[in-house]
Amino acid sequence: MSVNRLFRVGSVAVASLGVLALSACGSDPEPTGSSSPDSSTSSAGAECPQGTLNAEGSSAQKNAIEEVISKYNEKCADVTVNYNPTGSGAGIKQFNANQVDFAGSDSALKPDEQTAATKRCANNAAVNLPMVIGPVAIAYNVDGVTKLTLDGPTAAKIFQGTIKTWNDPAIAKLNAGVTLPSAPISVFFRSDESGTTENFTKYLKAAGGGAWTGEPAKKWTGTGSGKEKSAGVAEGVKSTKNAITYVEWSYAVDNKLGVAQIETGSGTPVELSAESAGKALAAAKPADASGKDLAMKLDYATKAPGAYPIILVTYEIACTKGLPAEKTALVKSFLSYFVSKDGQASLTDLNYAPLPAEIQTKVDAAIQAIS
Amino acid sequence: MTAVAENKPAYDGKVLDLTGKSGARAFKNTLATVLIVLAFAVAMIPLLWILFTVVSKGYHLLLSADWWSQSQRGITVRRAGGGAYHAIMGTLIMALITAVIAVPIAILGAVYLVEYGKGTRAAKAVSFMIDILTGVPSIVAALFVYAVWITVFGFNRVGFAVSLSLVLLMLPVVLRSTEEMLKLVPDELREASYALGVPKWKTILKVVVPTAFGGIITGVMLGLARVMGETAPLLILVGYSKNINLNPFDGFMGALPTMINQDRTELALPNAADRVWAAALTLILLVLALNLLARLVARFSTIKSK
Repeated sequence: MSVNRLFRVGSVAVASLGVLALSACGSDPEPTGSSSPDSSTSSAGAECPQGTLNAEGSSAQKNAIEEVISKYNEKCADVTVNYNPTGSGAGIKQFNANQVDFAGSDSALKPDEQTAATKRCANNAAVNLPMVIGPVAIAYNVDGVTKLTLDGPTAAKIFQGTIKTWNDPAIAKLNAGVTLPSAPISVFFRSDESGTTENFTKYLKAAGGGAWTGEPAKKWTGTGSGKEKSAGVAEGVKSTKNAITYVEWSYAVDNKLGVAQIETGSGTPVELSAESAGKALAAAKPADASGKDLAMKLDYATKAPGAYPIILVTYEIACTKGLPAEKTALVKSFLSYFVSKDGQASLTDLNYAPLPAEIQTKVDAAIQAIS
Repeated sequence: MTAVAENKPAYDGKVLDLTGKSGARAFKNTLATVLIVLAFAVAMIPLLWILFTVVSKGYHLLLSADWWSQSQRGITVRRAGGGAYHAIMGTLIMALITAVIAVPIAILGAVYLVEYGKGTRAAKAVSFMIDILTGVPSIVAALFVYAVWITVFGFNRVGFAVSLSLVLLMLPVVLRSTEEMLKLVPDELREASYALGVPKWKTILKVVVPTAFGGIITGVMLGLARVMGETAPLLILVGYSKNINLNPFDGFMGALPTMINQDRTELALPNAADRVWAAALTLILLVLALNLLARLVARFSTIKSK
């Protein structure tokens, strides 16, 4: 028994020592690179509050917001920002359930969501702040096809399931000189509620010439097999021959997938690039002319030469009023850094397009109006 | 044998050969042996495969001190660096709270079942409920706590809520193993104690539970190892944070399973992939350490049943 007791005491001591040893030396990593904040930091959000900000939502903006959080922490070291990329639908739900301080979403609030959000903000409106512009790529994995051109109706038919094989005449017509296999097309879609799906289906509806029969929605109504999150569909296409999906550009690039050019009707197929996405964006207008709501209206059927039509604007959704004072300060400080020149500049390397200067100003004004 | 043979009046020359096996039986024997060894090998293949893959892909990050002492704050998926400190601490803290809540309930419940309630209707009901609880999937436990903690009471998602749902998963494991251990304690020990005039509660406290202590601790460790790898409650009841948060009652909290889940989506990027494997290996090592500890405790304090 005495051996037992000794061992008992010993094992407990060892275990607690281990925990103590571990807890004694934990720290955050030192910021990398020259961390001294730029002296030319924009005036917006000059002071740094302290505290923790929790956010959740769109996985399309995950890479962007992580980068911005990292940069923001070089400036404001005492603020902790957590972002959970669980999808736009989940983000809005958690925001409306008072679980997070702001939400990331690939589409602006719907009327019923707006009602719930107003309730969550103690009867104040919630505002949609366009923050990041992410081009959506039609990514494919077909052996021997390095260049693929699609147009709206063809894409709509592929994702609707009416075009079933790669060597379908409709695809062949757009891709003269490319040897297309006779294999069936495996379509992958987002199984979670996704703003990417909604934006992409808006494009299919607008540019598909009636071939897309469903209504634009966060839930997929077309053909194919579902995968979770942007990374899921990208991984699905990467590991499946003759597969195709719609996914944020950065995921297509990271997974080294082929990205289809889009024939918009302008005469020459448009390749996806920061420049071509920016051109489509220039055509985008705020949905509400009064300028109070910043939700953007995109022209998916644009025929402007060199404009890549499938882009999505990801929003941050925040309360205009009604958060506790310290949270308000945190939200304002972080979001105004996000929309600032510094914040936006870090996004181009990650295959996002920065907001046009005019929209940046408007968004910043909306953030400063939060109280 | 020889004596029997000598007594036989006539020896007809036939020998009953008991030394070797007949062909058919030898064949069956070999076949069974081969099948069993094959089954063992098949069972081992995935285990070794997983271990080899995780170790070979994950070990190099674990060798750096940063891995054990730093968080992922400011480390995006594209960058290398940082560690799993936030996740390790989160996992340990949540497991510790779970144990603090679940173990006393489980042990007292087992004492009731074995010492007090034996054969009563109440004990049968409890036993039946525990059986049901054993089969509850982790996602159901998590959603139940979500309904209570967030929908009914309106609290935020925090580490403590995860612990609450893990309690539901750990409780039946520990209770069942404790019950078995208490049953193994020989009645003679109890009777000897009663004969000396020791009251029942003191007998349980000083004789029964100490005798079964090793087994109880083993059960606790195995229960802990079981809940530490649970992912569903973490996904539903707490947000993942890359930052160190040691307060289970406020804010998002990192944990190893959610750390894996977070970077899992970015396997195309080498830095993120490295971290996924390293976090997986860390989790395996934590669970392994607990299991080894349980084995050691068990070896040093087994009940000597006759």
